[in-house]
Amino acid sequence: MAAVDLTRGAIAAISEGRVKDGVKPVVQVWEVKLVNTQQSTTERYRMLLSDGAHMQQAMLATQMNGLVKLGTLQKHSIVRLDEFICNVIQNRRIIIIINLEVLVSNSNAIGEPKLYDNGSASQNRVPSPAQSTSADQPVIAAENPQNYGGIHSSTPNIVQNVTRGPSLSPATEAVTTNSSFAGYYGNGVMSSRNTNSVPSEHPKSEQGVGRISESHPNSGYQNQRLSSPASVGAFRPPASSYGHPVQPAYQQPPPMYTNRGPIAKNEAPARIIPIAALNPYQGRWTIKARVTTKGELRRYSNPRGEGKVFSFDLLDSDGGEIRVTCFNMVADQFYDQIEVGKVYLISKGSLKPARKSFNHLNNEYEIFLESQSVIQPCSEEDNTIPRQQFNFRPVNEVEGLENNSMVDVIGIVVSINPSASITRKNGTETNKQTLQLKDMSGRSVEVTFWGNFCSTEGQQLQRMCDSGVYPVLAIKAGRVSDFSGKSIGTIGSSQLFINPDFPEAHRLKDWYNREGKNMSALSISRDTTTMSRNDVVRKTLSQIKDEGLGRSEKPDWITVKATITFVKVDNFCYTACPLMVGDRPCNKKVNNNGDGTWHCDRCDQSFPECDYRYLLQFQIQDHTGMTWVTAFQEGGEEILGVTAKELYLLKYQEQDDLKFAEIIRRVLFHQHLFKLKVKEETFSDEQRVKSTIVKAEKVNPSSESRYLLGLIEKLLTEDPIVVSGMQTFASTSGMSTVAYGMVESNNSVHSVTNNFGINNSQLGKHENEYGGNSRHVFSRNEVQAFCSSCGSTSHTFHNCPRVNVRDKVLPHQHMEVVVHQEDTTGNMSSLLLYQLLCLVAHQCRPIRNVGYSGLMMLSAHMTVYKAHLDIHSTS
Amino acid sequence: MDTSSPAVFVNAEILKMYLGRRVRAVIQVMRNDAGVIVGQSTDGNQITVKGAQAFPPAHFVEVIGIADGSQSIRAEICTDFGESFDMTAYNGLCQLANGKFKNLFL
Repeated sequence: MAAVDLTRGAIAAISEGRVKDGVKPVVQVWEVKLVNTQQSTTERYRMLLSDGAHMQQAMLATQMNGLVKLGTLQKHSIVRLDEFICNVIQNRRIIIIINLEVLVSNSNAIGEPKLYDNGSASQNRVPSPAQSTSADQPVIAAENPQNYGGIHSSTPNIVQNVTRGPSLSPATEAVTTNSSFAGYYGNGVMSSRNTNSVPSEHPKSEQGVGRISESHPNSGYQNQRLSSPASVGAFRPPASSYGHPVQPAYQQPPPMYTNRGPIAKNEAPARIIPIAALNPYQGRWTIKARVTTKGELRRYSNPRGEGKVFSFDLLDSDGGEIRVTCFNMVADQFYDQIEVGKVYLISKGSLKPARKSFNHLNNEYEIFLESQSVIQPCSEEDNTIPRQQFNFRPVNEVEGLENNSMVDVIGIVVSINPSASITRKNGTETNKQTLQLKDMSGRSVEVTFWGNFCSTEGQQLQRMCDSGVYPVLAIKAGRVSDFSGKSIGTIGSSQLFINPDFPEAHRLKDWYNREGKNMSALSISRDTTTMSRNDVVRKTLSQIKDEGLGRSEKPDWITVKATITFVKVDNFCYTACPLMVGDRPCNKKVNNNGDGTWHCDRCDQSFPECDYRYLLQFQIQDHTGMTWVTAFQEGGEEILGVTAKELYLLKYQEQDDLKFAEIIRRVLFHQHLFKLKVKEETFSDEQRVKSTIVKAEKVNPSSESRYLLGLIEKLLTEDPIVVSGMQTFASTSGMSTVAYGMVESNNSVHSVTNNFGINNSQLGKHENEYGGNSRHVFSRNEVQAFCSSCGSTSHTFHNCPRVNVRDKVLPHQHMEVVVHQEDTTGNMSSLLLYQLLCLVAHQCRPIRNVGYSGLMMLSAHMTVYKAHLDIHSTS
Repeated sequence: MDTSSPAVFVNAEILKMYLGRRVRAVIQVMRNDAGVIVGQSTDGNQITVKGAQAFPPAHFVEVIGIADGSQSIRAEICTDFGESFDMTAYNGLCQLANGKFKNLFL
């Protein structure tokens, strides 16, 4: 397998810095050892490289670590050094390998190399060792540099290598070495300026402190050309070191200037290095890269104070990426200058380890800009720098990825659901939209858009899909989650591209048009259409108790449709602190100082005027049960329609009890859609389930009708006799009910009749809401009452002889004092509809000929209804 | 109160089943001719209402009367429901009221 030949004299040449630009010597790895440095926890591999004749110490760049871990790079592997530098650190020569390619993994040892003589690194030397070593070795001479030709050394390999899979325990033992040379790419302790005096074509050894690294301006490294041994002796007078544009990176000025003093620091024109080569130990550097994303200027406040920050990501022509962050003044300075898609030259930033939790780019470092940093826009377009770097994974591979890992994918959108508003655990609402993405691997995955992505790209994709076009979607930095199989979701820094102009996109489109459309793709996400946390969960009040909601660790968020039956008027509000803490008001309860001012404990301040915030407790009921709930400011205002302050003033200052009472009474017996947060809390040794109103909405008859229709459907497909959850009622004190129209009754539906009773009263209430301002009080006398158990008109439920009652508690008895108000005229007919549907939904079967006319009867008693609907009484 | 002939909730389809009986339907007024309203029923088909006064077009009107043709009603009572009305929900109601839950209504 040793078909690959080592480059003769490579070690010597490298050590002496004689390797020409573009030359990539082939050497054998004589040894590989893991080094744990004391300074950092990154692992570095120390190697011995051999050209068959000599060996030299080398350090492997961390992005190549993966090769060792996988075993590709091992002892005796034959590798080609694509990018490397030779440094002298503490008088020892080390070759630092930035990029290499393993040509042969498994090989036999070639030759008997001897450690290259480091001692000669100190003075001027005649460059002849390469020749002498070749004499007694069977190593074949360096091959034609054309072998190296055409290979662009710095490829996106870097990208992949860093993310290489699970780490294997390194085969070599960890060796602690001098921490001095571990981790050094570039300049470290440099005394070498005076030592590396080897004359050659393109000396490659490293430079002293303060030297700017160079590289070929546009396309990374050129292929190195190893000078043939024969010409080693030739000495090409180097051109001026600084101004020479084609000198490869990390190059020292030619020996002529060796013994000069330190290099002048600031006048050197920028030498551009690839992003992948950036490291904190580098002196001055400049990178030329395109901005791929730009974040928002964010304000924050932490214990140290306030500040602002913004970040942007860069991509250069080698595919290297890095994030750049600026704080405060610097952020202001650069925020306007940076535009996405433009190319900039950036220098004099500081490099720090990347914060992996925020930064998902493939770089161990991040750049932090300071006020002395320089950002220079490049006016000419640089086509070698791609606009965006993707590392697309096929969907079937996503399945194997870890949870919370970042991935780029591209695929065809095969289906998309409309966006929905969901409540997060902390109560905030956000938008969510899901779609299915399919690609050539034949698998599909569910992709979830959150927040703004729904309204922008989500909408667009929806329109496209609705019109039958199935667009290509590329996602950069999506997060893999193991929710329902494996799915992908967007995060703040995700980027979406619809029908992008990439070759992959075109290929995908072609594939889809040809075969993909008809191929049924297996989804790696389990299809869950209802996720109980995220969609609106509609419950009845009895279910809160029955199902033990709120008992688990987290609160339960449910929606109920219920009617307010009682409002507690003592302590309906509290005095709150109006001062702002951050961007929200403090709202803590304040104490009265006695002199008219108020004092807040948290803010530790006094002020003359406090806020009044609602702390309303009231009782709500639905057809199944009742519960007490608490509403805070927003909910209270929504329900009562007045601010807490107004109400407070009304009661305590103006002492207008009448008006106060009316406001409260006005709200009673109105049905709302409440979004509740149910949680069990401990009150002095007692566990109580508390419900808080997060949102209170008036029932929209139209949408509610639809909901009911859906519910009816569902009930129909289940057991039609099922009377679900309608068993219990709560009685309100001091009220009596009239039960309407129950003709047929039998035991099994007894409770159902109760329902009807309630429904009718609800009906009655609703009917009243139709326009108009008059009050209606239902009392026994006005309406023809039927006994709810036997249906005769002579008595009511109380007196019914046919009492076969399950619970004598008469739970269905309410008298509803209904006060209605001017409202929703447009909806009145929908209301009617809604009522009818309520009837049906509640399975009040035995209504017979009364049911319908029950309605009519009700309506007959409502002048308002009559007037509005112009029903000339049917009787 | 006379409950002897409750009006059945119908749309154009169901109307046919109740010829000669008292029905009620909501239609959206398309045009008015002399004493006749032509409107669209909740299932999209056309219904003619005789003996009714004129209503503004595009309004929803509930008509209660006797069905005297496969597409027409002889009106007794007409009520203007205004401009907004949920036809789909009403249609659903018609289906239910004449299907599974007929006994609730008739």
